[in-house]
Amino acid sequence: MNQTQKILIAVAVVAVLVVSVAAGLVVTQKKGSLLLATTTSTQDSGLLEYLLPVFEKEYNCEVRVVAVGSGQALEMGKNGDADVLMVHSPASEAQFVKDGYGTNRTSIMYNWFVVVGPDSDPAGVKNSTSAVDAFERIYDNGTAGKAKFVSRADNSGTYTKELSLWASVNSTWTKTNVSEWDSSWYLQAENGMGAVLDMCEEKNAYTLSDDATYYSRVEQELIPHLNITLTGDAKLKNQYSVILVNTTLWPHINKTLAKDFLDWITSQAGQDVIKSYERYGKQLFTPNAPGYTTQAIQLGTSAVVTSAVPDKTRPGPPPCPG
Amino acid sequence: MTAPVSLKKVTKRFGDVTALDATDLEVNAGEVFGIVGPSGAGKSTLLRVIDLLEAADEGGISVLGKSADPASKEADQIRLQIGMVHQKPVVLNRSVANNLAYPLMIRGWDQARIQTSVDRELKRLGLEDRRGKNARTLSGGEMQRISFSRTTIFSPKLLLLDEFAANLDPANVALLEGMVREYMDEDPSRATILVTHNLFQAKRMCDKVGLMWGGRFVETTDMEKFFQAPDDERTAAFVKGDLVY
Amino acid sequence: MVLDISYSVIQVTLLSLYVSGCATFLGSAIGIPLGALIGLREFGGKGLLKTVTYTLYGFPPVISGLVIYYLFSRAGPLGSFGILFTPTAMILAETLLVIPLTTGITISSVTEVDRSIKDTIISLGANRRQSVLTVLREAWVGVVMAAMIGFGRCIAEVGAAYMVGGNIQGETQVLTTAIMMETRLGRFDYAVGLGVVLLGVAMAVFLFLRYLQEKEVL
Repeated sequence: MNQTQKILIAVAVVAVLVVSVAAGLVVTQKKGSLLLATTTSTQDSGLLEYLLPVFEKEYNCEVRVVAVGSGQALEMGKNGDADVLMVHSPASEAQFVKDGYGTNRTSIMYNWFVVVGPDSDPAGVKNSTSAVDAFERIYDNGTAGKAKFVSRADNSGTYTKELSLWASVNSTWTKTNVSEWDSSWYLQAENGMGAVLDMCEEKNAYTLSDDATYYSRVEQELIPHLNITLTGDAKLKNQYSVILVNTTLWPHINKTLAKDFLDWITSQAGQDVIKSYERYGKQLFTPNAPGYTTQAIQLGTSAVVTSAVPDKTRPGPPPCPG
Repeated sequence: MTAPVSLKKVTKRFGDVTALDATDLEVNAGEVFGIVGPSGAGKSTLLRVIDLLEAADEGGISVLGKSADPASKEADQIRLQIGMVHQKPVVLNRSVANNLAYPLMIRGWDQARIQTSVDRELKRLGLEDRRGKNARTLSGGEMQRISFSRTTIFSPKLLLLDEFAANLDPANVALLEGMVREYMDEDPSRATILVTHNLFQAKRMCDKVGLMWGGRFVETTDMEKFFQAPDDERTAAFVKGDLVY
Repeated sequence: MVLDISYSVIQVTLLSLYVSGCATFLGSAIGIPLGALIGLREFGGKGLLKTVTYTLYGFPPVISGLVIYYLFSRAGPLGSFGILFTPTAMILAETLLVIPLTTGITISSVTEVDRSIKDTIISLGANRRQSVLTVLREAWVGVVMAAMIGFGRCIAEVGAAYMVGGNIQGETQVLTTAIMMETRLGRFDYAVGLGVVLLGVAMAVFLFLRYLQEKEVL
């Protein structure tokens, strides 16, 4: 090996070291940072790319987003690998807080689950009177061999919702029972929402989906034979909350910044940003942090309501499509 | 001065096979010692033992006045003064010049000294115009010349040649044999052991010849006597080409 | 098509190269000397060690990801370093995958170097260290191949990279995790486009390394 080669190698080694250190420094930010764990469907909706920069600019910080399944997001909170959670799995969230892993659980927005089905609607879901009724029809037709259903069958919020609906039809239908249903009509996909929708298209099956993913698939013309057969039932409301990870357990978390984030996203300003997010020609999320009001706009009056309006007296959801 | 090579009752086994069976050998300074005999007689093993590449199971080995365990650092030191050339040319995957320079480089010679020696050898070998070419691209004869020169370039005290000119054309054979002669003339304290199948070569080159058979020497004597009036009948038969094995 | 994405393809590509490059470098720095040692020495258990190394060629990347995840999670033993969801974690996970490859291929390469060359080197007077280095140089083509294969493994890694990196835009999003995300979004043409970039970049790297080999810089 001659001199030139030795020098080249030495330079390369130094360069790699310098770049590694530099990159390391960049990541361990000088300005404040938060690690937000959320679900893939939340990230995929595009809301965060729209919402977070506003917060980041105002507070001169960085919010790093890791998108995983609901279950994993909560696990990350338990292990201190996330600073803030934005999830939509109310039962699990309540347990999470009860167990002491998180604090300040606060509603921020909701969207809708939709029951999606094939054009032919073999189970007659379009004529159902409620979500529970729809699911009952799907079950009856499924077991009779006339319809199919594809389930997420993972630890996502959507699957949790699906299970709660089955349990509403028949309280003996626990997760264990449901997972043993005949795969000739009940398909457990263990996959993401987009993939499950694609499968429904292939198999002329029903499924429970969040609206954003459905619209996204429609926009890309991937599911021409699927429609929303039911939505708007209170039971189909998909409620999102922000939870702060317990900073006593995990002191490395930037407590102040995390609280700032919660305060901002539930403030009028933050909630307005959520409301203004549009995609697929629609407003995808309805902000509903405590104290936020959109009363005036929804009622279509010119009255300006300035005081806080509690959730309970807000107008009900739009009627089910007939 | 002690003989450059002195083996007493050396035995070497590989599993069930006894390659060297209580072999004795003495090679003196200034001598070219030829070893002949049938294949499998233990000739190559003998050279490996002398080059401290293998350890003997029994017996005393003294090479260049010292005994050492082949695995030891002492052996490394001794080997710096021994040169071995094989039948098959062995060249490293680098240029002709760098091949020749290799043993000098590992001995820590400075660049200038290496350059001088390499230039001298290239000239002797007639390969000056090919100095930068990858040695593997040369012909078999040329590669063997390089193998040989690379071994004498560091002026070893003991030269071990294992059928080093077999399969070469007469021109190359003559060239290499001449180089051995030159090597020996340069320094009378040197010694060479030559293993060969070529009886004519043995006649041309050797001072003493030994017939090896079944892991030991059947007869060792002066070259003339070996070919003209050997003591042992097996030697006589061998020289005539009649030895049945 | 290239315009309607919020992340920069160039940034993602550079990060892919950076993570894979570092992992390959580290994995080679460890694996090549280790492979030379194992290949050139005799010791009890050598055969077993070789078999284990070759078996680890098929080491599932997800397990590498899991190991790093559990080690560096805040709740894990090395959590206080805060490495999870940074490029460093990705580099570590990929290095684990590269080490068996560079070690094993180096073992094979040095073993294949003819016995006569090894003997010649020693008989020419090389000591232990010198002979290992010379054999390594004789086996150099194979050894460089080991590093290139290691790089290929890294640049294509998706599972472990997602698991320990988190696919954070602008920080730990590499070509492979971006492709996975685009697939999940149903944007298959974007996914394919990124895939083409990935192949192109990998090929460019290999061509460059081959060029260096031709010119005998490597």
